[in-house]
Amino acid sequence: MPNLSRRSLIKASAPVGAALLSGAFPSTDAAQAEGAHMHTAEAPTTAAPVKATPNMPNMAANASNPSYLFLNSEEAAFIEASVARLIPADDRWGGAIEAGVPNFIDKQLGGAWGAGERLYRSGPWQKGAPTQGYQLPFTPAEFFRTAIAAINAELKAATPFARMSVAGQEAYLKSLEAGGKDLGGIPSAEFFAALWQITVEGFFSDPVYGGNRDMMAWRMIGFPGAYASYYDLVDQHGIDFQQKPTSLASDVHMHVHVHTEIPARLPE
Amino acid sequence: MIEMSKITSGTLISLALAAGSASAQETARQLDLKHGAMIAAQGTANVPACAQCHAFNGASDGSGAFPRLTGQSPAYLVEQMRDFASSRRDSAIMSPIAKQLSASELLDVSSYFAASDGPFPPLARADAATIKRGAQLAREGDEAKGLQACNSCHGPDGAGLPPRIPYLAGQYADYIKLALNMWKMGFRKNSPEAMKQVASKLDDRDIAAVAAFYQQVRDATDSAAAR
Amino acid sequence: MAERLKPVDVVTIGVGLTGAIMAKELAAAGLKVVGLERGPRRDTSPDFQAPAIHDELRFAVRKALMQDNVKETVTFRNTADQTALPLRRWQGFLPGTGTGGSAVHWNGQTYRFQPVDFVYKSHIEQRYGKNFADPDLTIQDWGVTYDELEPHYDRFEYLCGTSGKAGNIKGKIQPGGNPFEGWRSRDYPTPPMKETQYGALFRKGAEKLGYKAYPQPASTLSQPYTNPEGLTLQQCVFCGFCERFACEHYAKASPQTVILPVVLKNPNYEMRSNCQVLRINLDSTGKRATGVTYVDGAGREFEQPADLVLVTAFALNNVRLLLNSGIGKPYDPKTQTGTVGRNYAYQTVSSVTVFYDEDTRINPFMASGSSGTVMDELSGDNFDHSKLGFIGGAYVGAIMTNGRPIEFHPTPPGTPTWGLEWKKAVARHYNHTVVLTVHGMSHPSRANYLDLDPTYKDAWGMPLLRLTFDFPDNDLRMSKYVTDKTVEIGRAMGGTTVVGAPRKGPYTSTIYQTTHNTGGAVMGNDPTTSAINRYLQSWDVPNVFVIGASAFQHNGTYNPTDTVGALTYWALDAIKNRYLKAPGALVHT
Repeated sequence: MPNLSRRSLIKASAPVGAALLSGAFPSTDAAQAEGAHMHTAEAPTTAAPVKATPNMPNMAANASNPSYLFLNSEEAAFIEASVARLIPADDRWGGAIEAGVPNFIDKQLGGAWGAGERLYRSGPWQKGAPTQGYQLPFTPAEFFRTAIAAINAELKAATPFARMSVAGQEAYLKSLEAGGKDLGGIPSAEFFAALWQITVEGFFSDPVYGGNRDMMAWRMIGFPGAYASYYDLVDQHGIDFQQKPTSLASDVHMHVHVHTEIPARLPE
Repeated sequence: MIEMSKITSGTLISLALAAGSASAQETARQLDLKHGAMIAAQGTANVPACAQCHAFNGASDGSGAFPRLTGQSPAYLVEQMRDFASSRRDSAIMSPIAKQLSASELLDVSSYFAASDGPFPPLARADAATIKRGAQLAREGDEAKGLQACNSCHGPDGAGLPPRIPYLAGQYADYIKLALNMWKMGFRKNSPEAMKQVASKLDDRDIAAVAAFYQQVRDATDSAAAR
Repeated sequence: MAERLKPVDVVTIGVGLTGAIMAKELAAAGLKVVGLERGPRRDTSPDFQAPAIHDELRFAVRKALMQDNVKETVTFRNTADQTALPLRRWQGFLPGTGTGGSAVHWNGQTYRFQPVDFVYKSHIEQRYGKNFADPDLTIQDWGVTYDELEPHYDRFEYLCGTSGKAGNIKGKIQPGGNPFEGWRSRDYPTPPMKETQYGALFRKGAEKLGYKAYPQPASTLSQPYTNPEGLTLQQCVFCGFCERFACEHYAKASPQTVILPVVLKNPNYEMRSNCQVLRINLDSTGKRATGVTYVDGAGREFEQPADLVLVTAFALNNVRLLLNSGIGKPYDPKTQTGTVGRNYAYQTVSSVTVFYDEDTRINPFMASGSSGTVMDELSGDNFDHSKLGFIGGAYVGAIMTNGRPIEFHPTPPGTPTWGLEWKKAVARHYNHTVVLTVHGMSHPSRANYLDLDPTYKDAWGMPLLRLTFDFPDNDLRMSKYVTDKTVEIGRAMGGTTVVGAPRKGPYTSTIYQTTHNTGGAVMGNDPTTSAINRYLQSWDVPNVFVIGASAFQHNGTYNPTDTVGALTYWALDAIKNRYLKAPGALVHT
């Protein structure tokens, strides 16, 4: 898989959104666009495009080409459409799409956790009782890939998930949640629970992981983020604490550097 | 230049709570930045102009005697002024001044400086090794001394953690040195459980290093507009 | 072929809280001590510094400070008629690893057990009769009394600098403290933590109903403190990243902050990290340990001979080591014989959620691991059970430790579990909700035990520990009673909606409910029902001591760590002043 153009795309989507807006973004050629991991993002077909408000993160920087490293375009289409239903936008606050949850999911599945870090992976495998927890052999990456492939295959003949109406998507998600469907060996309720969990993680985790853009979810609830020192405030009961949140990746100018592929550097 | 937008209702309440106001009615009083600017520029009947030492925009002169006030957390400024007034923080210069300001003058002038903007003077940088040691203390701490990273309370590279924790980024090295020594020697008594503990573990080289690091950590041409 | 190393006097298996305390004293007494720690060495600076440590995803959700399931886990089943399956991820409890162990990522909640806990069987029979408790419960006396442990509780609390207000000093009840607590010889080393908003709301509600609220005893310190080891802890800043995280401020008592730097300076002590102990080796009689076999980080196997082996590896690993080493007879639930693995217990935890309207701001992110306000009227046997049909109780309080949003985003009943209304409800309720904790006893039962799994192995080829556990019905009845009472407190707190969620069976490993795994190598006076004697010395192999919550005959109302610390100093006292002078069994039956 040729990586060069993907790298240049990643660099181009570095903090200076202006470069993209000005058209400096290197346009992808057809061969590259066919590459499994590029996806031209369009707004989810179901919801009306969300207008920018003070509460919305600046989406312009990544509007045309989020760089998926793991999800192929069919998987990304399902993920984008499903998370948009799980945590939708409204007129006050963005939802999972605006927060960058699909990007978070992509980076998690393509990273160490997706590959099975901290997972006991030896057999034999047996379907256990619910109290015994996860008992499938799949790593998270395999788990999502398998289940989404089964979903996409099932819906291929009818309407792909991304092209359903909002009501249709909600109904389909509810049917997954209710269980009873087998997705390539994965019970659908278990898949739904995992999809929901990773969506919540992508919504609320530190922006350094690629979700919770501009700390939108933290601003929505009033969580102050990574830098935390409250000795003088904790006994001011009920204080209206409205400070802007900080991220692990905040610098001294309160810019958040989310591009973890740019290597960290020791001070000179 | 005064940035009115920086003073939000949240700041009003934070300020007032920092100032110890008892009721919601008190906190709803509108801050008067123009009044604050006047006090800064001309003083009052009882106090000299802040600008004489701190400059009209709070940027002072880069020396150790007068800290940079520009854009400092408003609640922190109020708290320090109240501490000067009550002698919880004792300064031969600031205590008499703070005692002569009324509660509303104190709030207004503090919020004026909090909203102010101004350049960072081009001060001499320390050598690279000193700054590097300062960066280590700021970002990592020092296990042998039982010291945590300064940033853990003071925010990303010292950007501050309002309302109560001041910025160090861009504060003048000589002033940071002075403040740390004041805590270490017990002359500055507010925030004793935190700052005295930390200062006591720093030797002169460490103090110089931390001060040098924070003075230069911002871009010298940075201003509020870029934030 | 294992390389045989030069003999030493003492080996500790694990360099966590118990291993570090043991090592410090014995090295100071002139013995050559080796500490074998399975995980890596970690220091407060740089390893635990903020902001990096304030990463909810990495530490709270992905469990980065915990034992790595890839290499080793525990298998679990509720009952013996099921097949135990591996806990492929930690969810229900979170064993630590690395220097400091679980005492790095704990919350610092530091309670003593009650005097009646140590004579629980005698007490219950005396108060309620011999046939009152459910017959499946295997409660026993511990073989040691509270009075014997009191000076060791005191010593451990002064090691940690625990912040609190005494309720009973030498029998005299003190205002502001817990009037139900066992007597203590003096007040806490530092004053109580500041009261939080949720604590104050709880206090008002509880006191309205006549309960006496008191500040949760905290080893997240209220002020700077220099302990008897000469180490200085700093003041907690209520950062809200306590449990599952390490403290950047040197403000939480952990081996790193209270004792390890002293141990590491002693030339008599050597710590080896990334060393997995496989077993304790015995001589041909099977009654004397010759040392341990371990594998280092590069996969090389070593035999470390030692005169004294201290099993200080956390309750679960302690039991597994005994079983893998053939020390003591494994417990058989069918015949009720054997001692190693019996009386496993846990904690019976439930909650009550109090929703407020938007006028009441909670700021849950301003919290320490133990900045709560609690009450004790419903703990243990503090109330008359004679008409209630169960034994045991729970402490109740507002002990919220954080507002980290992946884990904490409460919504009232009736809220959809996802979608737009869910999102709106989260935004509406995040800063206006208090969660009360009901933290209850866990009684041992015949059917709950630990043994070796017949199928699953760790990365070194050793059998995993198998856990067979479900809540005894007694504990569920207890939970219902105390949770219902707590709902009344929630209403008295003025919430608009109060939701009680008592603990229901079956026990699930998928929902976190404390890492208070206790028992399995229990202490006692009777070698047929205990694995170790009252000095925590193995009945079977006298030069092996097993230190940790594995010693607990039951798990009391409270968090185990203070009692683990007290038992550690108690055992240390016996080792230094009696065992070393005359090695051999300290108790003869």
